[in-house]
Amino acid sequence: MKPVNPAYQAGRRYTVEFGLSIVAYVIVIFLSRLLWHTASGGWQIAIALVPLIPVAFVVVAVARFLGGTDELVRRKIVESLALAGVATALLALTYGLMEGDGIPKLSAWWTYATFMVSWIVATVFVRRRFQ
Amino acid sequence: MKNRLKVLRAENNWSQAELADRIGVVRQTVIALEAGKYAPSLPLAFKLSKVFGKPVEDIFIAEETDP
Repeated sequence: MKPVNPAYQAGRRYTVEFGLSIVAYVIVIFLSRLLWHTASGGWQIAIALVPLIPVAFVVVAVARFLGGTDELVRRKIVESLALAGVATALLALTYGLMEGDGIPKLSAWWTYATFMVSWIVATVFVRRRFQ
Repeated sequence: MKNRLKVLRAENNWSQAELADRIGVVRQTVIALEAGKYAPSLPLAFKLSKVFGKPVEDIFIAEETDP
């Protein structure tokens, strides 16, 4: 019998876990938005934060994938995450310093979006190094 | 770091996918290893040594410029 390649097995498991987490996120965010209007005070904040639960599942799925995949794939992901973190920190710091000079204040969502875009760009950059 | 992975793989009539399965990595990692774009960790180098039945120093050749 052909031995199971753990690197591919980790990839398949990640696809399933990530997919289920995203489905859960979509359902929870829909319910959260629906219930948010019916709640008040502290409950509104709690309901608004409930989508963090499926987001935590995504983080766990990524962590499990990192633990199960091969060393080069792991290195590429960790390097791209590090580059994205540095780019986001520098951009957030730059904008934060300019905010004191009358530039409009931005939503925290922009930091998240910046990180995700930086991660995509960093992934392309890191992958090319090993091709 | 140079290596003889491509030659050894050809001698064994293995595809890149077959070698990847034997050492537990994805095919892209075998491609990067063969191209000398990535120097493996000691555990992976010893896995390669085991599947080819050759000492590590017969597979990998250190260069003057290696750190």
